[in-house]
Amino acid sequence: MSPAGGGRRGTVLALLALLWLAVLVVAPLIGSQRVGLGAVIAGDPTASLIVWQIRLPRVLLALAAGGALAVAGVGFQTLFRNPLAEPYTLGVATGAALGAVIALRFADPSTVLGFSIVAVASFSGALGATALVVGMAWRAGAARSGGVETGTLLLAGVAVSLSASAIILFLQYLSDATQTFRMVRWMMGGLSVVGYRDVLWVVPWVVAGSAVLLALRWDLNQLLTGEELAAGRGVDVSRLRLLVLGVTSLMVGALVAVTGPIGFVGLMVPHLLRRLVGHDHLFLAPAAILGGGAFLAVCDLAARTVMAPAQIPVGVLTALLGGPFFLWLLVARRR
Amino acid sequence: MSAGGAASAATTGIADAPLVRASGVAWEHRGRRIVGPIDLDVGAGECLIVLGPNGAGKTTLLRLLSGLLAPSAGEVAWRGAPYRDLSRRQLARRMAYVPQIRPARVPLTVEEVVLLGRYPHLGRLQLAPRPQDFAAVNAALAQVGIEELRRRPVDELSGGERQSVYIAAALAQEAEMLVLDEPTTHLDPRHQREVVSLLARIARGTARTVVAATHDLTFAALVADRLVALAAGRVAAIGTPAEILRPAVLEELFASRFRLVGDAARPIPVLSLEDGPEDGSEEGP
Repeated sequence: MSPAGGGRRGTVLALLALLWLAVLVVAPLIGSQRVGLGAVIAGDPTASLIVWQIRLPRVLLALAAGGALAVAGVGFQTLFRNPLAEPYTLGVATGAALGAVIALRFADPSTVLGFSIVAVASFSGALGATALVVGMAWRAGAARSGGVETGTLLLAGVAVSLSASAIILFLQYLSDATQTFRMVRWMMGGLSVVGYRDVLWVVPWVVAGSAVLLALRWDLNQLLTGEELAAGRGVDVSRLRLLVLGVTSLMVGALVAVTGPIGFVGLMVPHLLRRLVGHDHLFLAPAAILGGGAFLAVCDLAARTVMAPAQIPVGVLTALLGGPFFLWLLVARRR
Repeated sequence: MSAGGAASAATTGIADAPLVRASGVAWEHRGRRIVGPIDLDVGAGECLIVLGPNGAGKTTLLRLLSGLLAPSAGEVAWRGAPYRDLSRRQLARRMAYVPQIRPARVPLTVEEVVLLGRYPHLGRLQLAPRPQDFAAVNAALAQVGIEELRRRPVDELSGGERQSVYIAAALAQEAEMLVLDEPTTHLDPRHQREVVSLLARIARGTARTVVAATHDLTFAALVADRLVALAAGRVAAIGTPAEILRPAVLEELFASRFRLVGDAARPIPVLSLEDGPEDGSEEGP
């Protein structure tokens, strides 16, 4: 935002871009079996299969998912003026989980238009939960002042999340051991994909969602000094709120349908980046897209190598990092 | 619009029109009338102060005049053009609003906050602020006299300094009219004096029109060209400081006794404790 510091922020952004590219090139080469870059270029059949069909899709999905979760987290934190807000605050993830759990409990394993029934059900659950939250907040707002209020949105999000969690527990109680195991594994969140179908599904959502958030950078900046001042400068705050919520929920819902809920990325990465590049969304939004992607790809690299050949679901790893990070945040803030 | 005579009348109407004209403006909330109907003109270049007790509808009137609220009845017009025909952005290039309530935590420096005032002039596709945006920021910082605070985080400033920062942001908006809600509330006398003298400089030293709501009578007396007294959402009295700042008018408005100090053209009311109107039981000496 200011001319001073613009240079430093530009440097950080360039370094993040380099890191992103480095992860894209190096991460597919590392795993339970190390593959040389030369072998891939030379067209060695085993190396090519491992890199092109197994590892690269997974790294691409991690880069897209991490970037989307981080930039969505930036949007939510600014919108709610709350450092604890994250992409799942309004119940997108619990809605998706409910959809997935219903499919795992009642549906035969099948596909719809090439996507697993679980993914379709969880995407529907994510959209349903968001629609319910926004609809409730809309009704409450219309009764009061017209327009959706952030406080009502947060409360409605908590209420919908809690209800969905309760139904999930109830369905788990009704399920047999195999079904319950698959439900729990789904909710751990992971990036195990083979081939490009899931990547091709996620990427358009992520690109479109990130583009909208980037285009709204001036408007999001205005929210940093409060909604009243923003409105006075010509920001349609109510419309901005619905636009940011709608776009991020679609993007995150599409993502969670494929990966399951991967926690804390949307919380940790924006906080770290705010310290590095400040709060101006001109720098913060692209930094989140690059930094979040690289962060999740590195986490996934660790998840599939530290206990190789076993693969820890990456959602478990990010959750393990998340708790201590929160404590650090609390202590560091006080200083 | 159809007849030639009507068109020419409309043209002269716009030329003669005040900067802002509110006609029959009212605002209702949950079926209860908060403000209005009010007829009020704001002349170009004047400093108009809205006076009134808590709950009189001062903030609502300011929000109506700034286009932040759409009136339930009547209309507000800028040089003859109704607000509803102007976009929020167009309105924001014409007037800058400085609200009383602002968030406690703002993670920005002074310069960054002032640069936020450039929003109505920024294009969606513009990658970064342009040189003229930074020039407007520098001019605003200089006019307010807070250039040395430029790099300081806003959260570290005193209340008075912070008020100056938001006034600077409004100046950077390069709007013809400045609308301020309770600009001196919660400030100690030194910072009150700084803000009052800053607003007096803006009102008198520039072509800018200033509209402010307050119940700070000293502030009102020192800067106003014209005063509007608001009571229960209606205009109770309107006129020059000498006409409005009279003990009888003020007693009616605030249910308190006042005495005047200063000269007759610009009297300054001071609260008086000699038997107030509600409390006649106490015997004076």
